Amino acid sequence: MEEQKKEQEVSLKHLDSNGRFAGTRRRWFGVIGGAAGAAALAACGADQTATPRTAPAPTSGAASTQAAAAIPGSGSIAGPYPGEAKQLTGAGATFPAALYSKWFTEYHRLTGVQVNYQSIGSGGGIKSISDKTVDFGATDGPMTNEQLSATKGGDIFHIPTALGAVVATYNIPEVPASTKLRLSPETLAAIFLGEITKWSDPKLKADNSGVNLPDKDIVVVHRSDGSGTTYIFTDYLSSVSPTWKEKVGFATSVNWPKGLGGKGNEGVAGEVKQNPYSIGYVELIYALQNKLGVAQIKNKDGQFVDPNLETVTEAAAGVASTIAPDLRASIVNAAGPESYPISGFTWILAYKNMAEEPKAIALSRMLWWATHDGQKFNGDLGYAPLPLEIIKRGEEKIKGILVNGKPAFPNK
Amino acid sequence: MSSDTYAPPLAPAYPPGGRSIFEADARYQVRRGVARLMAVLVGLAALGAVAVLWIILGYVIWRGLPAINWPFFTQRPLPYGEPGGGVGPAIAGSLVLLGVASTIGVPIGLGAGIYLSEFGRGRFADAVRFCGDLVAGLPSIVVGVFIWALLVRHVIGHFSGLAGAAALAIIMVPIIVRTVEAMLRLVPHTLREAALALGVPQWRVVLSVVLPSARAGIITGVVLALARAGGETAPLLLTTLGNMFFNWNLSQPTAALPIQIYNYAVAPYDDWHTKAWGASLVLIAVIGILSVLTRLATRGKKLA
Repeated sequence: MEEQKKEQEVSLKHLDSNGRFAGTRRRWFGVIGGAAGAAALAACGADQTATPRTAPAPTSGAASTQAAAAIPGSGSIAGPYPGEAKQLTGAGATFPAALYSKWFTEYHRLTGVQVNYQSIGSGGGIKSISDKTVDFGATDGPMTNEQLSATKGGDIFHIPTALGAVVATYNIPEVPASTKLRLSPETLAAIFLGEITKWSDPKLKADNSGVNLPDKDIVVVHRSDGSGTTYIFTDYLSSVSPTWKEKVGFATSVNWPKGLGGKGNEGVAGEVKQNPYSIGYVELIYALQNKLGVAQIKNKDGQFVDPNLETVTEAAAGVASTIAPDLRASIVNAAGPESYPISGFTWILAYKNMAEEPKAIALSRMLWWATHDGQKFNGDLGYAPLPLEIIKRGEEKIKGILVNGKPAFPNK
Repeated sequence: MSSDTYAPPLAPAYPPGGRSIFEADARYQVRRGVARLMAVLVGLAALGAVAVLWIILGYVIWRGLPAINWPFFTQRPLPYGEPGGGVGPAIAGSLVLLGVASTIGVPIGLGAGIYLSEFGRGRFADAVRFCGDLVAGLPSIVVGVFIWALLVRHVIGHFSGLAGAAALAIIMVPIIVRTVEAMLRLVPHTLREAALALGVPQWRVVLSVVLPSARAGIITGVVLALARAGGETAPLLLTTLGNMFFNWNLSQPTAALPIQIYNYAVAPYDDWHTKAWGASLVLIAVIGILSVLTRLATRGKKLA
């Protein structure tokens, strides 16, 4: 036996002298090298793409405080509920991710329920809820009838959670950001169609008397990736410009007649910032964070309106009475003197019929809290709170979530 | 022949029409010069290869160290734009995922490796080896898509830590198989023959003679597989999804360090960029510590 042991040692030495894995140090090299490479590359690559480095600037809180106090039904969810699931999973739109992460942190504190939201994009959210791989989805562009008929679990509710504005943002060195450029639907569509090519175009000058518009070519910037922002923006242009509707149409990504592409809201904001005499479209918060010019847009009532939380809320209120029963509403070009015309909802997608009672209870309670108590967080994060009428309509959907044929929502 | 011992012949020969000895000496000098230049270039290349590691490591430490504090390890991520919080769930999730993936992958990889080295003969063994190499060459995103289609959409029905662990196990197995087979083949045949001659059955030879002899190599293979799996992002995005909260339930979505690094790095907040670097540093450290622990745990020679 002793000899065998010796033999073993000899063979171990042989292994080492063979040079493959000789010595601890060399092995460490391999291990650390591999991990360092993978991790560092991931971090490096991504670091460059992220542009807006400032924290979200707190915007005017007037709308948020006004709405928070007024929502009836707030405060009805004050703690854990027996029999509800402790974990929920959701995935989808990136635009409301900042708001949702705030909501679900607060909701966890309140009820102990872990609502895990992952921002994988509107398309991913629709796909995931259709496959039932998540408990709820999220999207900025409503599901199409085709998508709704192809779900694994039957009917899906669109429950509005917040409102956002898409703004026309520009960089004209001669025009300070404090001077608001005024754009009519016709001139905006013409710029993106390539029909208006100079800032000094008479049509632009007509709306902007007293503004020193230079005789320079307009650089158009748009999104290169598919996005809910593009959906809202092209939906608006289609609704105000027959030429646009015919030539380009609306979708999460379209064939742009002209312009530079930027990836994500931050990419477009970056392109506009770096290119003098450019114009692009981004979610409001990105223009504010990057201190870019934000245009006033002429709405349906002929008024030039600033994009802000109040005017976006107003746009939603304008359609509240006429909104479709399934709440898949487009609120672009809304009526009302104070309505900002390029506004849109963001929705949470949930199944009408759920199989697991604990999940159904937890989901309906979470949705109730989000559309009531949760609205007070919207303003500070750059999202407009929902108008009361829309919240009421959402309540019907939340109460309409069924488990084994019975309503799942336990309160009232 | 080294340069020191070279000396021109005492009696210089002048072959008719040939070169002078001085010319030959000049050519020798050129050759020696080229040899030295090449030696320096090869040395520089070696230095460069090593330098990449230290530059990356140094940079990650430099950028990541400011993020490292106690809450960074224990707390969960805060909402977007709020400074503070930590990556506790991601660290815990990565450890759980690697643990489960190893539980699935190591026995399979070890078994297949032993089979190929000790028992496998003929076409079937060749086929196994060939398929193993194919799996090893599979891009990890393909593994992720496969697990997503099979487990996430059908068998399990939703995103879960278990699906992620399965994807990581698929990535680990071929690495372990290859290393184990190579290591076992290095064990001298005389050792096996000696044991067999003593009347030891073959399974006992494998268990008591071959495996212990190749122990260090096998452990290295497992650690390499762990390191590879620990840094994978693509298959996890499609399977474990990620989680903002601590989760110990394998049937639920789980956070993991690579996903956390990805999410933090693309977000527009400075604090999150720092945290992404910090998480990178932690990921490197976790894999380093794992390899040390594995080594310490199997250091004793009583493995029989």
